[in-house]
Amino acid sequence: MNKKKVIVIDPDKCVGCHSCEMACSLKNFQKCSPLLSRIRIQEFRDVNTFIPIVCQACEDATCIKVCPMGARIRLESGAVVTNESACIGCRACIYACPFAAPVINLETGKTMTCDLCGNEAEPWCVKSCTMQGALKFVSKEQVSKDLSRKFAWKLKEQFQPQQLTEEKDGPGFSWG
Amino acid sequence: MDGWMGKRLRVDLGERKVWVEELSPAYLKKWIGGRGFNSEVVYHETEAGMDPFDPRNPLCFATGPLGGTFAPLAGRTTISARSPMTCSSRGTEVHGHGDTNMGGHFAAAMKYAGFDQIVIKGKASSPVYLWIDDDHFEIKDARHLWGTKVKEGTKKIVEELGDPDIKVSIIGPAGENLVRFACILNSFGSAGGRTGMGAVMGSKNLKAIAIRGANPITIAEPKTFAERAWALRDIIHHAPSAIRRRDEGSMDLFDAGNAIGINAHKNVSTGFMPRIEEVYGGYQWAKEFLFRRKACWSCPVGCGRYTYIKEGKYAGFHCSGPEMESVCNLGPRIDSYDVASVNVMCGMVNELGMDSISAGAALSWTMECFEKGYLSEKDTGGIPFKWGDCETSMQVLEMIAQRKGFGDILAEGNIRAAEKLGVGMDIVPHCRGLEHISVDPRIAMGFSLGYAMSTRGSDHLKNYSCMEFQGSAISRQELVNEVLGPELSKEFWNDFPSELYTLTTKPKLCTWSERNKCVADLVGCCCQAIGSWGGAGDYRSYTPLLRAATGYDLSDEEVFIAAERVIAIERAHWNREGSARQDDTHIDRYFEEGVVDGPYKGLKIDRKEWDWAKSEYYKLHEWDENGFISDQKLMELGLEALIPDMEKGRQLFKQQD
Repeated sequence: MNKKKVIVIDPDKCVGCHSCEMACSLKNFQKCSPLLSRIRIQEFRDVNTFIPIVCQACEDATCIKVCPMGARIRLESGAVVTNESACIGCRACIYACPFAAPVINLETGKTMTCDLCGNEAEPWCVKSCTMQGALKFVSKEQVSKDLSRKFAWKLKEQFQPQQLTEEKDGPGFSWG
Repeated sequence: MDGWMGKRLRVDLGERKVWVEELSPAYLKKWIGGRGFNSEVVYHETEAGMDPFDPRNPLCFATGPLGGTFAPLAGRTTISARSPMTCSSRGTEVHGHGDTNMGGHFAAAMKYAGFDQIVIKGKASSPVYLWIDDDHFEIKDARHLWGTKVKEGTKKIVEELGDPDIKVSIIGPAGENLVRFACILNSFGSAGGRTGMGAVMGSKNLKAIAIRGANPITIAEPKTFAERAWALRDIIHHAPSAIRRRDEGSMDLFDAGNAIGINAHKNVSTGFMPRIEEVYGGYQWAKEFLFRRKACWSCPVGCGRYTYIKEGKYAGFHCSGPEMESVCNLGPRIDSYDVASVNVMCGMVNELGMDSISAGAALSWTMECFEKGYLSEKDTGGIPFKWGDCETSMQVLEMIAQRKGFGDILAEGNIRAAEKLGVGMDIVPHCRGLEHISVDPRIAMGFSLGYAMSTRGSDHLKNYSCMEFQGSAISRQELVNEVLGPELSKEFWNDFPSELYTLTTKPKLCTWSERNKCVADLVGCCCQAIGSWGGAGDYRSYTPLLRAATGYDLSDEEVFIAAERVIAIERAHWNREGSARQDDTHIDRYFEEGVVDGPYKGLKIDRKEWDWAKSEYYKLHEWDENGFISDQKLMELGLEALIPDMEKGRQLFKQQD
């Protein structure tokens, strides 16, 4: 069974504070800049909608397949990262990624993706999102369980008499 | 340079020139940032008697060394200039210091473009907007944008420049038409509302500032900085008040506010509105209208709301906000229980680019004038003003922004409208020409004193003495004791909680909390964490972050003195106009008429106590008996150059006597 953990996004809960970008750039570059972050919040601010884009460390990663230099490598943790010494900055991994998740490191011109913060118990971006809950760090088997639970919660009311509806929040639901 | 970007962008719209100035380490240490830079520039680059619509009036945008970093709540921009909204009892042609603070994402973008401050002077010959892309500056034509509302204007600019990540600060039609309480908004709905900065921007023919940058903010001691930032985030994460603010938005305050009966109702005349927390409370609101929350830069709380109205007359309406002050001033203040309509009005004022507080004040003042028989439909061009009438109010808001008909008079703000019409001056709830927020000044005396002493006219956010309120006091017991000292704190707790409406401890509390709040404005962070929430501490929560970010050895005391210096230069701005003790007061109504209803029914301000509190407050600041900053104090703060101005101010003050 695959117990390795991945970052899960929930755009329903993202409030566009960019804390994750700040945490990521501070951790990896000791600076604060959204352009140095490996996670990016795509904003649709006119309708108050925000989508976090971060490498999903695909099982069958296209970026690994397309990289002409074999610079996209999988780490022990499951994370897929760029080996900067091999990378030539051709950006093929960005085109090949269904989310265009790899970002160009402005300092080197090469691509970079999330390394799940190596030995940290929890990646910094996820930690910085604790109050919002738009990012979570969970085992792969938990991902589908959580997501189906979330949809079940939305369906629940249709199958339940009104008087039994709880006032309090359930899993996967909050005011935000 | 770490923390700061160390640069100020200068713009002269008349000459169509843009240039960059370096900020020296000594300057950075003296003024820290944000409000500090702005207040310094606004004082030194204006003169007594200058009209706020004079092209020389500098419109300043600034953030602090923590703005745009990983520090929690680091998304604040201060906007300052001489204010067209405020005045003195010497006359409505007398103006003073004005500033406003906005959240959103503009501060961060400004830093990434490489600037701590942007100062704009001059007047463009036709409408323009300013485009800043790192070191590329352009004054672009905005004739096609003139007249657009905030959302449409922002979208057009972003599309034109081709990047959705560009941050735009923009004015709406109200700013263009020089409505005296026009505001500036960024990120589609984060407003810098008060004191009419939008009108100053409009007077320069400047529609917007669009900004983008790729410069990272470097941190002097990243490891310490990260540790402190995580620690503060953790505290905020667990603070019950922060969690509630996240769930309910700032509308969580209705609950506590009405329990002590301080929410403004009917033109801030009653002090109490029955059922307000049931109608407007944050949870109720969220159930019906919340689409999704939104947050300012690097904020773990996210008190911002986004409205979507699902059903009823306004089904399909969506807008940014509302915030508690907007709701309270456009709802209870005009005696309305119609939440959906109030919500739409909150969206409207944002779109038109008006301060929701002063806009609500314009409506409620006229309504009370009608009730009292001061005004009738003959005076308003046939428009009836009736308490709680949202539909008419919406039309009037539109008329104010366009300066049409009776709206042209209301666009001048309460005090100038009263002067023009020759009625109702006695019921304008204001200090220095700026209308009160939605807290009745007869009950919470710290807030009340703060309104009168505020350096931008009536306002709670200059003083922010939240510790006088029960919840905040209990959760910050040690801090209360530390601030007040052994004797006063004994008195505080002896009288607690009825302490709220006595003045004894308030001068001390105010002088401390206004500096505490000022530090948040200086570093570019939000005052909420250090101002009111238990657990998140005081300004000393931000100072270690400031040191770690900048690498400057600024002690807590030095930062606190810098805050005092900034308050002093803002005060000096008023002193220079001859405005001092005579303006540090409330209208007669609050001394003579008691609160109409609620737990503090009958309460009013005691004149004798009030006079004592003022003198005590001056003493604590080491100002003279008339409220002028003493020469001694100015020298201590390194502001000796201001002494001649003070002398001229004293002369003007004496002439009025």
